[in-house]
Amino acid sequence: MTLQHYLVISAILFTFGIFAVLTRRNAISILMGIELILNSCNLNFAAFSRFMTPPEDISGQIIAIFGIVLAAAEAAVFLAIILAIYREFGSIRPDEVDTLKG
Amino acid sequence: MEFALKNFIFYGFALMTVASALLVVTVRNIVHAAFSLMVTLFGIAGLYVFLQADFLAATQVIVYVGGILVLILFGVMMTSGRLEMRIHIERGQLLLGGVVSLALLTLLLTVIANTPAWKNLTDDGTEFPPTTKRIGELILDGPFLLPFEVVSVLLLVALIGAALISRKEVRE
Amino acid sequence: MIVPLISIILLCPLAAFAVFGLFSLANRRFPRQDYLSTVAMLAALVCSFLLLREVVPTPEPHTVNWISLGGVTFSMGFYLDSVTVIMLIVVTLVSSLVHIFSMGYMHGDPRYPRFFAYLSLFSFSMLFLVVSDNLLGIYIGWELVGLCSYLLIGFWFEKDSAANACKKAFLTTRVGDVGMFIGMMMLFTKFQTLSLYGEGGIFAQAAAQLSTADMVWLSIAGVLIFCGAIGKSAQMPLHTWLPDAMEGPTPVSALIHAATMVAAGVYLTARMFPILTETSSLVIAYVGGITAIIAATIAIVRFDIKRVLAYSTISQLGYMMLAIGAGSYVAGLFHLTTHAFFKALLFLGSGSVIHAFHAMHAHAHDDEHEHAHEHEHGDHDAPGHEHGEDSDSGHILGSEIPPDQDMRNMGGLRRKMPITFVTMLIATLSISGVPFIFSGFWSKDKILAGVLERAMEWNSVHHYLLFVMTLLAAGITAFYMFRLIFMTFFGEPRNQEMHEMAHESPLSMTVPLIVLAILSFPVVNTLWFNKDYVKPPPQPHLHAPQHAYLAPDSKTGGQSVALSLFGVSEAVAAEEEGGHDTHADDGHHGHGPAHTIAMVLSIIVAGSGIFLSWLFYHRRTLSAESVATTFRPIYNLFWHKYYFDEFYDGVLVALTVWKSRLFAQFDGSVVDGIVNGVGTVTRDILAAFVGIFDNRVVDGLVNRVAQVTWAIGGKVRRIQTGAIQTYLFVVLAGIVLLILIFRAL
Repeated sequence: MTLQHYLVISAILFTFGIFAVLTRRNAISILMGIELILNSCNLNFAAFSRFMTPPEDISGQIIAIFGIVLAAAEAAVFLAIILAIYREFGSIRPDEVDTLKG
Repeated sequence: MEFALKNFIFYGFALMTVASALLVVTVRNIVHAAFSLMVTLFGIAGLYVFLQADFLAATQVIVYVGGILVLILFGVMMTSGRLEMRIHIERGQLLLGGVVSLALLTLLLTVIANTPAWKNLTDDGTEFPPTTKRIGELILDGPFLLPFEVVSVLLLVALIGAALISRKEVRE
Repeated sequence: MIVPLISIILLCPLAAFAVFGLFSLANRRFPRQDYLSTVAMLAALVCSFLLLREVVPTPEPHTVNWISLGGVTFSMGFYLDSVTVIMLIVVTLVSSLVHIFSMGYMHGDPRYPRFFAYLSLFSFSMLFLVVSDNLLGIYIGWELVGLCSYLLIGFWFEKDSAANACKKAFLTTRVGDVGMFIGMMMLFTKFQTLSLYGEGGIFAQAAAQLSTADMVWLSIAGVLIFCGAIGKSAQMPLHTWLPDAMEGPTPVSALIHAATMVAAGVYLTARMFPILTETSSLVIAYVGGITAIIAATIAIVRFDIKRVLAYSTISQLGYMMLAIGAGSYVAGLFHLTTHAFFKALLFLGSGSVIHAFHAMHAHAHDDEHEHAHEHEHGDHDAPGHEHGEDSDSGHILGSEIPPDQDMRNMGGLRRKMPITFVTMLIATLSISGVPFIFSGFWSKDKILAGVLERAMEWNSVHHYLLFVMTLLAAGITAFYMFRLIFMTFFGEPRNQEMHEMAHESPLSMTVPLIVLAILSFPVVNTLWFNKDYVKPPPQPHLHAPQHAYLAPDSKTGGQSVALSLFGVSEAVAAEEEGGHDTHADDGHHGHGPAHTIAMVLSIIVAGSGIFLSWLFYHRRTLSAESVATTFRPIYNLFWHKYYFDEFYDGVLVALTVWKSRLFAQFDGSVVDGIVNGVGTVTRDILAAFVGIFDNRVVDGLVNRVAQVTWAIGGKVRRIQTGAIQTYLFVVLAGIVLLILIFRAL
């Protein structure tokens, strides 16, 4: 296994995440896409920490842990917002929530 | 022989991760998508193990699978009626999104393939000591103390904020 | 330990004031401001006593740098020598006693807490002045005590006379302060520092530079700084504010205008002692001497008990100035200390007497016991009395005597107010210089001896003249002080109705009196009798006149002249004069002939003063009225206080008013004319053009810009779809395209 293996997996996950965010017409599906993106980032961090730095330096892992924590916080707030939007508009389809339309 | 087994397992995990991620973004049923996501997350945890990041892998399982995924399922239950279980996808949007995603993927892969510093870094299979203790020291008694505290505050704020936002407004 | 102790001393009263200030900001009152202020003062007193042990023979200033301006650093700091610590004790002691006294005296005043807050602020300022090691700090304290004096004189500002008196005090002292400031600036120009002590201080530098031009410079600077002392210590010709300052409450008079603030001038002069030259010393001595005599003679004919004391204070301050000017540094400061105690006692005693009558007034007028002082004072302030026959018509401010302060209404009070009587009698004996058992005698005697000694040593006519002045003033002092005692406490009551109601004051007032009376005995002033404790600093610029440097023969010759001059045939102990250098000797040799002569003479003049007073005001074998008639012109001169106020009012004030009118006319015709002309031109001509330009061009431009913006906005808003996925799509497509275009790889 080389670094590039991990990076390729991570890139694929990232692209899938982007694809989900771009095409899915459901807010929760978008959230799942975002989680995929975040995971690909964390995977990158861990991989770089493993291959690019000396063994005793595990800063990359710690950053990944922080990333997980941020993802948790983000998910909580995201879902709260989705609930609020659902109450307000009766829908969580992003194309139907376009109050900011010019 | 052992090396080959290791490789086999690694590719297994990689395939599992990528395939389930593909399911996440393609299935029409949102509950199915959520469960696919769970498999993806497990797969990533497995990759972490290969990266000698034991603590990270455990955290991944506990927080993502145990926490965030449950949160997502709650969200699904609370917002989707029966009819909304299916995810709407428009053809035109699908096409455009697919083009952009493919372009992005090509770009990324080109970058990965062409960056000299990332080439030929092979995992020689050395065993690292367990990371949990060192992470604890770095976070609680080292350079990451301040970020750690800040993140805890952030988590608290997110908690309160989420509670505030999702609360039903009581109008008088 | 020095710096913390001094800090405590300074911070205690300041904190007491700050509490008042903070509560005032919140529109509230601290419930027991009087206790707070008094306790703060007592704490400062204790710390002052603790400081006694910290005094070292050659102290160093404790300084911190304060601000740097243009390459010059001003420092702030403390300097603690034996004089400082004695001043600290005097100030805190008198201040504490006055605080306690005020609890009784000011009881029931509507602004009772404010009074104590002001007392605290004053104490802080005075202590700050005393401990400062540099002229800047002294000046800050100096102006702060001036401010407090202003506030406290005008404490009953409902009275016009009090309001005017405080303004007069402030403005008059300001005249002197300007001189002081110029003097400070001269020193600063010369030495590039305002610090007095230490390596680069003024004194060290001055001692090193001794050219003739420098001497002239130093003399002028010294006299100018002394101007500040003239103003603050009410020396002639700026003494007129002090008698009017008696409009303030009596404890204030005792604290500020008898014991501490007015003595600050003497203290300043003493601090400046090392840079005094011969000329400036003589100026100081003469100003002091003339003041002593003038004020004493005016005091003879006053009937207002507080004004007698005020003039007495001026006279005694002149005494101290004379002593310092004549080189008797220790004697001057010694007298400052003793005077602080017995004069504070006299003022508090008079306050006790006034209080006794006061209470009577309150009973007579309304049943509300001692409700509001200023109301009662207001009663006496009947307009139109300003130049009445029996008013003290020389005053321009505060003309008439309030009945409760008029000694002609008193008499026979000694049975009614025994404690007040005994304590005041002790103070009077002390100030009159009754020998041996009273402190005033020793300090006054030291001054007399010091002056006479300087006169003999230098064979200087000036100093002989000054000695005569001193003696004369001493005699007059004894006379008018006993006149006060006889008129107030002896004889028959002159105003029966008022006498009936008089009573002894409450405990809070009599206790301070008793303490101060004890302090009027020499036993408690032992520090001054220790020759080594307070030593005069050297005066490098002060040289005896040339002939004093002659052989010892001529010196003894000078002494014999002196001896024959005063008709005392005591030519002993001449040999003791040998071996002394001519610099600032200060009369430490207690057994010299000068000392004996001075002592004998002072006893004689004090005795005769008291005797004459007895004849005039007690036995009444001599009639004051007939003497006054016989020497009408002199009496009038005294009565009108040498016409100082008339002079100021007639000349200075008139000149100022005339000048102001002139300027007002100039202002009204020329300056206003120009301004109005310019205004017309601007409004009618320029503004019209500008208005047209504004309406057409500027407004048009602005409107055009707005229209264009509006039109563009209408087109562009279509882009905003409100669908986030579209946005994200565009962003990502943009990123991919950008990377492809610029080939980041």
